[in-house]
Amino acid sequence: MAIFVATGGPKKAPKTAASKGKSPRMYPADDVPVPKKSRKATKAAPKVRGSITPGTVVILLSGHFRGKRVVCLKVLKSGLLLVSGPFKINGVPLKRVNPAYVIATSTKVDVSKVSVPASVDDAYFARSEAAASAGEEKFFKGDASKAVVSDQRKADQKAVDAALMKAVGSTPVLKQYLNAKFTLTNNDRPHNMVF
Amino acid sequence: MVSDTQPTRLYVKGVHLGFKRGLRNQYNHTSLIKIGGVDEKKDVSFYLGKKIAYITKASKAGKDGSKFRVCWGKVCRAHGSNGVVRAKFSRPLPPQSIGAPVRVMLYPSNV
Amino acid sequence: MVFERYVEVGRVALVNYGDSKGELVTIVDVVDGNKCLVDGAAAGGAPRQVISYSRINLTDLKVALGRGAKGKAQKAAWKAAGTQAAWDSSSWAKRLANKKTRAGLNDFSKFKVMCAKKSKSAAVAKKLKSYKK
Repeated sequence: MAIFVATGGPKKAPKTAASKGKSPRMYPADDVPVPKKSRKATKAAPKVRGSITPGTVVILLSGHFRGKRVVCLKVLKSGLLLVSGPFKINGVPLKRVNPAYVIATSTKVDVSKVSVPASVDDAYFARSEAAASAGEEKFFKGDASKAVVSDQRKADQKAVDAALMKAVGSTPVLKQYLNAKFTLTNNDRPHNMVF
Repeated sequence: MVSDTQPTRLYVKGVHLGFKRGLRNQYNHTSLIKIGGVDEKKDVSFYLGKKIAYITKASKAGKDGSKFRVCWGKVCRAHGSNGVVRAKFSRPLPPQSIGAPVRVMLYPSNV
Repeated sequence: MVFERYVEVGRVALVNYGDSKGELVTIVDVVDGNKCLVDGAAAGGAPRQVISYSRINLTDLKVALGRGAKGKAQKAAWKAAGTQAAWDSSSWAKRLANKKTRAGLNDFSKFKVMCAKKSKSAAVAKKLKSYKK
């Protein structure tokens, strides 16, 4: 990070002098570029609606896993939710989801014993641009290799799910519940439903 | 590949009734949608901002390789007091869509 | 077909429309062929009002009341006839109550109900099969 602290080197004058209450012995010969101080507030913690807390069972509304009931583990810095199926129950891996595409149910799983590895953050899920574009080219050429899940991810999934499965297992029927998909049927009125 | 049939229905069925209009003028930019099971104005609040999909099937596949074309819109506000809503679409819906089913999605969600 | 539920003073009815929907009322006067005066003072507290017959459902219950009886007399008559208890034990009331609890269940509870229903019907089917043999 470029923070202007003039210490050492030929451009050192102002700071030492100021601290001693003396005027600088000499002015720096060159104009030292001072980075513009940003007035933007430091990024506030992301806001998600109150119904979503760590441990809330949420229903995914779009994407490959639509209709699946999964457990929210935490809110990431980007404001996305970190969820896990758990993978063993319904096949949903550790993944990020946008809270707008989620229905929060009033069912909670006790996730106090589940520790998410610190490395699992937004960067963990980010796809490198090179890999994405290369994949695209290959895809159109028709020789796309199957996406490989790294061992790191597998290990993280295992570590998180081990504790999560225990928490899920402590409530009867919860496992079957997470395994079942949510769907609207005739005469279901989502505006009157309690989730 | 994800199969093209949806085993789970995560949308509410709606019908395109027509366009916003006066006695003599019609305003195609706003469509009127009847959402299934919504018969009162107070029920509309749940659906405000929800995305609506008008889906048609074409004879030729589009850029994405699918023969289905989607026109997206969203619920703007209530129209009257009997649960009909006004919706804006990315392009005004075509006239043959009057009476056609639309999908009122459950997102963006606020529950 | 013989009618058994009549519009008459003292007949207990269920309101099926408007603000008092789902509340019990007693008919205290008959206005004309289309509407009557009802009062919910003895039950849910629905206000005394003239209501169309299409907006009430008559029940089997009846209390002994004078025409135009006020709240106090209604309460006494209900108590004497044990109307509330009779209503609560009716299958109609039970069905309504059941419907209400079902509507208030959350997603997980609904799932549990579904599981319970499944296991019940499986048990019934099994037993039935054993009789058929």
